[in-house]
Parts: sequence; C-alpha cells; structure tokens
Amino acid sequence: MEIVRIPEAPELAPEDQPFLEATKGWFKIDFVPKMSRVLLSHPEFGRPYGRASRRAMTDGALSRAQKEMIAATVSAINVCEY
Amino acid sequence: MAGTTHALNAVADGLRLPLEFRDSGRDPLVALPRTEEAPPQVKALFDDIQTFYAMDHVPAVFRWMARDPIFLQGYWGAVRAAFTDAGLDRLTKEVLALAASMTAKSDYGVDLHLREARRLGLSDQGLTEAVEVVQLFNTVTKIAGALQLQPDFNPRLLGG
Repeated sequence: MEIVRIPEAPELAPEDQPFLEATKGWFKIDFVPKMSRVLLSHPEFGRPYGRASRRAMTDGALSRAQKEMIAATVSAINVCEY
Repeated sequence: MAGTTHALNAVADGLRLPLEFRDSGRDPLVALPRTEEAPPQVKALFDDIQTFYAMDHVPAVFRWMARDPIFLQGYWGAVRAAFTDAGLDRLTKEVLALAASMTAKSDYGVDLHLREARRLGLSDQGLTEAVEVVQLFNTVTKIAGALQLQPDFNPRLLGG
C-alpha cells in the first residue's frame, strides 16, 4: 500500500486544476493519475517537472508512441509495476 | 527485446568484456574463443552476426557464447528475431534497447545500442528526446517505488 496519502485532485491548488484537467485529456482517462497528484502535492517540484514531462512526451523527432514505449521499457527494467 | 538486451548486458558487463566501439581498457575475466579458429557451424553464425550489426568483428558477447555452439545458435536466433523489423521497426527497437541499457547502467549495452541506433538513423534531436524520456521515467519509477504507489490501471481489467 502507499506509504503516503495521495490527495484527491480537488484538494490540490486551484491554479493547478487546469493542468490536472488537461492531464485527463492527455491520457484520455476520466481521472487524474496518482503520480500527477503526488507530484503536485509539492508544487515547487511538481509544476516544473510537469512542464518538462509534457514537453518531453510530445511528438517530435520521436513519436509520442515511441516515447511511451521507452517509458514502458524503463519501467520494466526498474521493475516498476506502477 | 528488453529481455535479451538485459541478459546480454548482464553477461558482457559481468564478464568485463571490452566495449565494442570504444577503447574501454577492460580485461575480460574469461578467455574468448578466437574468431578465426571457429568451427564451420560457428563461423556461419559469426558471419550472420557481423552482417546483422554491420561490424568488422564479432561482438565479444557472442564470441563468449560460442564456447557452447548449440546455445549460441539458439540464443542468437532469438536475439535476431527480437531485433528484426516487425510490429516495431528495428530503429525503434534499438532506441528501446538503449533506454534499457542506460537504465540498467550497462556500459556495454549503451556503447553497442547507441552505435546501432545511430547507424540506423537516430538523429541528434531523436537522441535528446529519447534520453529525456529515460531521465523522466527513471525519476517517476523511483518515486513510485519509494512511495509504493499501486497502479492506476488494473491490467486484468484492461483487455486487449
């Protein structure tokens, strides 16, 4: 089980709500992933990290699909079930 | 692909085999069979391996495996199949192998797969983007592990 309490999206800062909403659209899901909520529970870290992440995962020289596969490969090597 | 990459890296780094494309100063912990003394069935495999990687020598990790030709034949067949164009193209697979090697901190794997990805057309911008994703997900997987985050999705319910 998680060793910290994961805040619900509405508990996070009002100025972060647009990004949280956009995150649902980005992943085409109807909830905000735990990782996004954890990161934004420390906004000074989570906001710039979120910007870097969104930028890095956008289609570029590599497609977003290729980037998601890299992410999955890193997760596999690090044995990260999340 | 990730599985064979991880395994070959473990063997190559574990035995301190020299890097293929850089002077690593590594002394292998074991004796490697000499390419020119290989029996005919091994020679044919060596030729296939060299051609596949467009190299002027046989990578040390496969030379090591040639100590057991039947094992080499089977395992090389699997590696070859895993890295051949199919649902994913070979360049994408090499980029994934590079990501796996960086994440596992494999000097041998980073050296080999960086060269392969470059040879197959990975641009500077593509490399930058790939390493950014490696960096981001080494961050979040570490955070997820430390906090023991449970998955957002139940894989048994996803289908497909």
